Amino acid sequence: MDRAFALIASIALIGAALSPLVRRPEDDGFPLSTYPMFASRRPRQLTMSYPLGVTADGGRRYLSPGLIGSSEPLQAASIVEQAVGRGGAALRGLCEAIARRVAASPAHRDVAAIRLVTGTHDAVELLARDRIGAEREHGRCEVPRSAP
Amino acid sequence: MTGPLARAARWWLAPAPPERLAALRMLVGAYALVYVAVRLGELHAVARLPAAQLRPVGAARVLSAPIPPAAALAIAIATVALLAAFVAGYRFRAAAPAAALGLLWVTSYRCSWDVALPTENLMVLHVIALACAPAADAWSLDAARRRRAGAPPAASAAGCGWAIKLLAALTAATYVLAGVAKLRLAGVEWIDGELLRNQIAIDNLRKALLGDGIAPLAIPFLDHPAAFTIFCALTLAIELGAFAILLGGRAARVWALGAWGFHLGVVLLMNIWFPYPLLGFAFLPALRAERPFRWLIGRARSRLPS
Repeated sequence: MDRAFALIASIALIGAALSPLVRRPEDDGFPLSTYPMFASRRPRQLTMSYPLGVTADGGRRYLSPGLIGSSEPLQAASIVEQAVGRGGAALRGLCEAIARRVAASPAHRDVAAIRLVTGTHDAVELLARDRIGAEREHGRCEVPRSAP
Repeated sequence: MTGPLARAARWWLAPAPPERLAALRMLVGAYALVYVAVRLGELHAVARLPAAQLRPVGAARVLSAPIPPAAALAIAIATVALLAAFVAGYRFRAAAPAAALGLLWVTSYRCSWDVALPTENLMVLHVIALACAPAADAWSLDAARRRRAGAPPAASAAGCGWAIKLLAALTAATYVLAGVAKLRLAGVEWIDGELLRNQIAIDNLRKALLGDGIAPLAIPFLDHPAAFTIFCALTLAIELGAFAILLGGRAARVWALGAWGFHLGVVLLMNIWFPYPLLGFAFLPALRAERPFRWLIGRARSRLPS
């Protein structure tokens, strides 16, 4: 392999790898990324929809993506957002599907009902100081339990 | 030829052991092979998503509609086979560029259905660079075939040093771009730590609300904003100082250790895993990658009957 090829290939590949410098940083691409991942401004408040398990004594339990309907967290979040967006039968259907999965989960024997909510929280306050923000309930259903 | 450009070219083309480049071929190629092989089912499943979800990126930008799922799977399987030839150094001149193109296509098509994952970018760039290099001159089936035929060992006029430096430069470029993106999007105030703290808090809260595991050090650090100023300063120093990897020797290894530590910090604070750097593959060009192979070959030879 001759030296000219080595130099040209090197310049071409390094030039391509650095070419995102001339694009807007938000204009991400693959495999020539601008790497905006941890660079963008983020507010401290988060608003998102999620299901909550409610225990008989009123305690709250967060439910894993698998119980929502996908082992992939982003897809699980999308399932909830879509159901909340559609409302009505879609919301009831998701609530009951989650309730059935919770009923079949030995780790969730204490969960009596499911609430589908949209919450707005200060992320630092909730994680570091357990201060829960505002939650709006869209739907609620009971977890089906057979009599002992 | 004299002058700075000539000196730079001489430095770039300085020789390196062909076995080091061969070790990089085998390690990076094996990573890419496993990466695609373990995702065959996922690649097939993703290719069956509704066409409306397709957002073509990278090489898949030529598409205006999805390809049949069976074709997506067939391309991925062919890429696995080509990457096996890449690792073994079999018919490298033909197989390696085909493997690199296959990998570029498969990863682009996968990312076209989802968010582009920055962990895959450097792996793809490294495989493309190795495909352009004389990476099968040693420790390869091609080299063994030449030996059996009584032909002299392949020796590229440009040597192997440039290809190793190219891999190092590509690693450096990705980190420098990440550092520059922070300065372009947030400005120098990114260093005060507030933005990173918010990012870590939001990311972990999203996981917590979905009952997913949060990072082990996130909560202890969220109450100490000053720590994030230190994290940010270290992050920018590592990212903007990434071309230290081209200095070679101790400077390159110290930088690689710092960059690896940064990724470990991302796991501990955000529970986000970047396997390619975390497993050390991103930093292999800074290391004497041929050493474990030499050791293994030496052990194997010592066990053979004389």
